[in-house]
Amino acid sequence: MHNTDIFMNNLPLFIPLILLEVGLDVAALIHIFRHQNYRTGNRILWVLLTLLVNPIGAILYFVVGRETY
Amino acid sequence: MRATWFFIRKELLESWRSYHLLIIAVVFVIFGIEGPLMAKLTPEILKMASGSGMTIKMTDPTSLDSWQQYYKNMTQIGIYVLAVIFSGTISGEVSRGTLINLVTKGLPRYSVVLAKYIVAYFQWCLALVTAFFINWVYTAYYFSDNKSPNVLTGLWPLLIFGSMFVAVTIFGSALGKSNYLGFLTAVVAFIFLTLLNLFKDVKRYNPISLVTDNMSLVKGTEKISHIMPAVWITILSAVVLVYLAVLLLKHKKL
Repeated sequence: MHNTDIFMNNLPLFIPLILLEVGLDVAALIHIFRHQNYRTGNRILWVLLTLLVNPIGAILYFVVGRETY
Repeated sequence: MRATWFFIRKELLESWRSYHLLIIAVVFVIFGIEGPLMAKLTPEILKMASGSGMTIKMTDPTSLDSWQQYYKNMTQIGIYVLAVIFSGTISGEVSRGTLINLVTKGLPRYSVVLAKYIVAYFQWCLALVTAFFINWVYTAYYFSDNKSPNVLTGLWPLLIFGSMFVAVTIFGSALGKSNYLGFLTAVVAFIFLTLLNLFKDVKRYNPISLVTDNMSLVKGTEKISHIMPAVWITILSAVVLVYLAVLLLKHKKL
């Protein structure tokens, strides 16, 4: 079986998975660009982590990167 | 009790505003989908990895594979994600000094621990049950066989285990000022209990049985009465740990 076949055969599993991960990334990116200061790291680091390491980057940002007041 | 109720509401609001609820929801929905997905894809992945040189005889995936993925995900990653999220809950407030105002205005210190414990345990149950139901729906859709008759029997030991695991995390969080102490305590406790399982006679009484025997419970090869002693010990140690956490916070400089 080709990779695309596997993907098409399991659409009910893949679609929600993709939606969730993209949604989390968008939420993290919006938060990153609306804030100036971060608890650790800087803006470039968090944008790269969010976009490249899916979905751990976004989760890490919300747990340790987000500034708490 | 009124104070505890108000603090519970404050904790829920905090969990919402600090994005913790969002993270828990997303992570555990992903886990719920991943179980059946990995069960379906593992034969394909093995086929690709093995190449043409040899042939591996793969049996078709069953509902058991799907549930195995669920319990593997929950007990190896899921509970640590929750431990990380809960780990700073008391130490964070102590180091930020946000409890001073509330306590001097008359909020009993036991209310703080109690409310935090209840909210954390509520989130634990919510996370595991969400992932469970999503897994259940997909498993029923993709693998409709009779190989896992006692699906629910496997879940509730996991929820009971949470009562102790969350208590350990809260207790660790009350120990010091570092945000990671709660997580560290939970991990050390988990490793200690796993090592304890090396002795065969202890297994029935060891709380870790609640998260290692799930598959045999689902298959029906093990009766729940076999691990009943472990269930009672888990609940008892949860109560003791919460009490110790109350004592710790009582004598702590805020």
